[in-house]
Amino acid sequence: MKRFDARITALRSVATGYRELRYEWPADLPPPSPGRFFTVRAGGRYDPVLRRPFAFSAWSPGGAGEPAEASFIFQVRGRGTRYLAELDTGDTIDVLGPLGTGFGKPRRGSRPVLVAGGIGLGPMLYLANALSIDARDGLCEAPVLALGFRTASLIPDVAMPEGTVICTDDGSAGYRGTVTGWLEGYDPGAPPYLYACGPSAMMAAVGAMAAARRAPYEAALEQWMACGVGACAGCAVRLRTGQYIKACVDGPVYDGNLVDWGAML
Amino acid sequence: MTQTDKLDLSVQIGSLTLPNPVGVASGTFGYGEEYAPLLDVNTLGALYTKAVTLEPRAGNPAPRLADTPAGMLNSIGLANPGMEAFITDKLPFLRTLGCPVIVNVAGSTEDDYALVVERLGSEDGLGGYEINISCPNVAHGGMAFGTDPALVERLVKRLVSIRDRAPGAASRRPVIVKLSPNVTDIGLIARAAEAGGADALSCINTLVGMVIDTKRKRPVLARGTGGLSGPAVLPVGVAVVYKVSRAVAIPVIGLGGISCADDALQYLLAGAVAVQVGTAIFSRPETPLEVLGGIRDFMEREGVSEVRCIRELL
Ligand SMILES: Cc1cc2nc3c(=O)[nH]c(=O)nc-3n(C[C@H](O)[C@H](O)[C@H](O)COP(=O)(O)OP(=O)(O)OC[C@H]3O[C@@H](n4cnc5c(N)ncnc54)[C@H](O)[C@@H]3O)c2cc1C
Ligand SMILES: Cc1cc2nc3c(=O)[nH]c(=O)nc-3n(C[C@H](O)[C@H](O)[C@H](O)COP(=O)(O)O)c2cc1C
Ligand code: FES
Repeated sequence: MKRFDARITALRSVATGYRELRYEWPADLPPPSPGRFFTVRAGGRYDPVLRRPFAFSAWSPGGAGEPAEASFIFQVRGRGTRYLAELDTGDTIDVLGPLGTGFGKPRRGSRPVLVAGGIGLGPMLYLANALSIDARDGLCEAPVLALGFRTASLIPDVAMPEGTVICTDDGSAGYRGTVTGWLEGYDPGAPPYLYACGPSAMMAAVGAMAAARRAPYEAALEQWMACGVGACAGCAVRLRTGQYIKACVDGPVYDGNLVDWGAML
Repeated sequence: MTQTDKLDLSVQIGSLTLPNPVGVASGTFGYGEEYAPLLDVNTLGALYTKAVTLEPRAGNPAPRLADTPAGMLNSIGLANPGMEAFITDKLPFLRTLGCPVIVNVAGSTEDDYALVVERLGSEDGLGGYEINISCPNVAHGGMAFGTDPALVERLVKRLVSIRDRAPGAASRRPVIVKLSPNVTDIGLIARAAEAGGADALSCINTLVGMVIDTKRKRPVLARGTGGLSGPAVLPVGVAVVYKVSRAVAIPVIGLGGISCADDALQYLLAGAVAVQVGTAIFSRPETPLEVLGGIRDFMEREGVSEVRCIRELL
C-alpha cells in the first residue's frame, strides 16, 4: 500500500454515464487482486476532503518499456466522479492503494457464478477474467458472468468473457428482467459458488438465494469511506450477529451469508 | 537568520515534553498501526488515540460518514474495543513508537472515565490523557459533560486526583481536557476545566451538523446528525483558541480544519502551544509532516528560534 501520483494513460466513455480510466501502476507495488480497491483524490486541495473509492477492473503487467497499468470503470454520479471524467490522458491522479481484502478462490469443482449490476461491473469483469484462467487450469468449472442493466444503451463497450449473460429490465437486449430473476431460473450444473457486486437490493436478493441453496457467497460491499485503512471506523457494515466490520480492511469482499442485508437497504 | 538545527520545536504540556508541536487528532489515526505504512509515526509531535471507553462499543448504525462542502460529517459513536482490549491489543504497538502517546478517554458516566484513568495509571508507555467531554455522537455522556461547567470541574478534579495517586511517572501524566465548540460560552467551560486542575485544553472537537439526501428525502447519516470536521471548521477553531487562550493560564492545543502549515500557524498565532491534524490525514496522510516542515520554514523566515514564541508575533 502506498500513496502515489499516477499518470493517466487512457480515459474513455464505455456507456452512457460510464467511463474507463487506466493509469500507470508503480513498479514497486504488487498487482492488485480482483475485489481490492484504491481511493483517489477527486478535486482540489480542500474539497472534497473524502477520497473516492473504486475497485480495479483490470491490471496489465506492461513490459518492453511499457509501464504496468491498472484500470477501473466508474459511473459519473456526483462532483467527485464528474471531476475524474473531465481529466485527460497525461494528467495525474493521486492514488492510495491497493487496499482491502479481495475475492477468495471458489471451491474445487464448483461453478463460479458472478452477478453484477451498475457500478459492480468493473470488479466482476476482473474476477471473471481471472477465474477463466483458473477454469482452464482445472481449478473450477468455467465461470458464468451475469450482468444486469436497465436498458441496452447502458451495456458497456468492454471485452466480456465468453458466455457472459446480459439481462435488461426492458428486454432491449438479452434476458428480459433483473439479473436476480435470471439467476433464479439458472441451473449451474455444478455446486454454485456465488460472487456479487452491485446495488444493495441486488446484493440482498443474491444473499437470500445463497441462503436458500446453502451456497457460498462472496459479496463486494459498498460503504462510505474516510481513511480506507481501518483507522476511522467510518465504513462500518452490520453483520447478522449485530457486530460491525470495517468494509475497507475486513472487506470490501466479505462472506455475504454473514451480512445483515436489511441494514444496508 | 536562524539555522534549522538550532530551532527549538519542543512544547511543554504539564510535565510532558512534546518533541514538536504537530500531533495527529483522536479518531482520525486509529491506534497508530493503521497509518504506519504511509508515514513515519515516530516523527509526530504526539499521537492522540481513538477514544477508549471502559467497555467495548460497537458504535452507531451505518452510514456513519457524509461528504460536506470542504468537510465531512462523522457519527462513529466512539466505536472502540474497550479499555482491556486496548491494553492487550493496541498498547504493545504504541509502546514501540518514538512519539508521545496520549490516550483519548471517553465515557457515559463519571465513574466510566475514572475507572479508565485509574486502570491506565498502572500501564507504562503512555504520555498523558485527553479527556473527551465533547463527543457529539453519543446519546449519554460525551457532550453532555462538556456543556455544564459544574460537571466539568467536578469530573476533572476527580480524574486529576486519581492521576496524582498513580504509581511512579504515571502520577505526572498531563490531563488534557478536550472541549466542545457546541456551547454558548466556551470560556466558561475552559475556566471550569482549569479550576478542576486540568494541565491543558484541546480545542476543538467537531460541530454538530446534518446532511439531507434530497432524492431519498432523509438524512444521509443513520443517526441523523454527526460531527463536522475538515477545512470548513478552521476559522471556528481559530476563534475558539484565540478566546480560550486568553481566558485561561494553562496551555491550549489547537485543532480543527488544519490541512497545511499556514492553517497550523493561524492556531499558533492565536495562542495555541501545539496543534493536531485530523481529517486532512484522510485526504493526504503526509499532512502532519508537511505542516511541521512549513512551521520550521516560517520560524526561519521570521527569525523565531523557539516555537513557543510564535504566539508573541500576533
Ligand atoms: C470499495 C468500493 C469500491 C467501489 N468501486 C466502484 C467502481 O468500481 N466504480 C464506480 O463507479 N463506483 C465505485 N464505488 C462507488 C464510488 O466510490 C462512488 O460512486 C463515488 O465515490 C461517488 O463520488 P461522487 O463525488 O461522484 O458522488 P457524490 O456526489 O459524493 O455522491 C453521488 C451519490 O453516490 C453515493 N456515494 C458516493 N460515494 C459513495 C460510497 N463510497 N459508497 C456508497 N455510495 C456512495 C451518494 O450516496 C450519492 O447519492 C465504490 C465504492 C466502494 C466503497
Ligand atoms: C472520524 C472521526 C472520528 C473522531 N473520533 C474522535 C474521538 O474518538 N475522540 C475525540 O476526542 N475526537 C474525535 N474526533 C474529533 C477530532 O479529533 C477533531 O477534534 C475534529 O475532527 C476537528 O479536527 P479536524 O478538522 O482536523 O478533523 C473524530 C473526528 C473524526 C473525523
Ligand atoms: S474507511 Fe476508515 S476504517 Fe474503513
